[in-house]
Amino acid sequence: MSRWIYEQDLVSQKYRILIAMRHDRIIRQIAADLGIGLQDLRKYFIEHLDMILLENLPARYEAALAAADHGDPVARAVGRALYTTYIPIVPPYVMDSIYRHVDAQVKSGTPLIEAAAKGRAMIREAMEP
Amino acid sequence: MKRTVDVNIPLGPVHPCFKEPARVKCETKGERVIAAEVELGYMKKGIERIMKGRPWQEVMFLAERVCGICSVIHNMVFIEAMEQISGIAVPPRAAYLRVIVNELDRMQSHLLANFSYCYTIEHETLAMYLLDCREQVMDALERLTGARVTCAYMIPGGVRCDIHAEDQVVLRESLDRIEKELHRYASMFGNGPMIALRSRGVGILTPVAAREAHVVGPTARASGIAEDRRIQHPTYKQLGFTPVVRYDCDNYARIMVRFDELFQSIRLIRACLDGLPKGIIRGGGICKAGEIRYSGEAPRGELTYSIKTDEVGRVVEIQIQTPSIMNIEACCHSMIIGADSIADVTATFVSADPCIACTER
Repeated sequence: MSRWIYEQDLVSQKYRILIAMRHDRIIRQIAADLGIGLQDLRKYFIEHLDMILLENLPARYEAALAAADHGDPVARAVGRALYTTYIPIVPPYVMDSIYRHVDAQVKSGTPLIEAAAKGRAMIREAMEP
Repeated sequence: MKRTVDVNIPLGPVHPCFKEPARVKCETKGERVIAAEVELGYMKKGIERIMKGRPWQEVMFLAERVCGICSVIHNMVFIEAMEQISGIAVPPRAAYLRVIVNELDRMQSHLLANFSYCYTIEHETLAMYLLDCREQVMDALERLTGARVTCAYMIPGGVRCDIHAEDQVVLRESLDRIEKELHRYASMFGNGPMIALRSRGVGILTPVAAREAHVVGPTARASGIAEDRRIQHPTYKQLGFTPVVRYDCDNYARIMVRFDELFQSIRLIRACLDGLPKGIIRGGGICKAGEIRYSGEAPRGELTYSIKTDEVGRVVEIQIQTPSIMNIEACCHSMIIGADSIADVTATFVSADPCIACTER
């Protein structure tokens, strides 16, 4: 969003949302999944997501685990829908290229776990400023 | 990436159409809304923090103060969660009385939501009719529980007071009168050409977007998602409950789902009164240590309490997930986007029945 001359600094309020019981559990799971430091991930979320999406983070995460990418093991391992539509960390076009890369590796014989780890490294790169 | 934006329009935090303070920041290109963001924090109560470390007897009263519009369901979900933790059984008569009070609470909440929508689209006549109808429901609620809001009607192992024979007669008469009036109001809304212009095809929420944001309650059911926590509730199962679903996905569908649910609530209350079992209303029991995640169907959708208690029933940890969190998020990220006019933003926002008090508990 563009800047507002009377914009409030929402960092402390967003941080309060993220350290609530259920939010904290979800943030820790995502941080462990992506291999990112907890505070770094919190900072990323505060800078890139709005307040109401942060409030809704646990519901979105659980909805993704329940419904997203069930038919495609590669997409599920990379978190194709989870990290684009459910929790928008990575733009869809970046995730598409990551998915294609991982999928090609899996088809060429690389184990899924290894290929998915490389995919997550690419997600981390995409998240860097 | 830089976007071309004509005007940034903030709606609220104090807005005549909003019941509670929230700021919706819209980016527009011409009249079309291309992005929206909701800013909260104007009425944060910190009630979860206040609840921590307190005995259940105090938390019970705090829980229903999370929201004044749907206080009964907060009371019900908290108490049922404590009963699940402690293995406390509820007498059948008390279980039926809980449904009656819960459905009356749902009726007044839906009537207030539909009033707000009619007021927002400037159909004040229908809005005032609905508000008058709500008063009759509030009177019935007061007759049964002794209070209009924050009734504290449910306690672990039962309910606080019984329904007398004369109260049943008065309640049935009220329901007959309310049903007759509601048929007229639902018809006015459903067949009004000017209402259709402001409501049909406006604020579309597709089932895919609704599932992504985990939208719940009438907002989800108006998008064709047949999810309702009452399906899993044992008392509602006995009453043969089935959710109301519509498939239009617009403002009109959301309001009509609430009208349909009002008639459904009347049927449920009548079924409870017809089959009200005889017997005690309080079975007793002791609240114990445990941890649970328990959900119930609030007027706005799935309400979840995650509770951890110690051996004397003191709440050690608690987190409340209210339905408005999901619905407001879907509203600002899906329903408002692409609105043809800024006037549709307030109507769409109100059609989702946002409860800021719940969201900022």
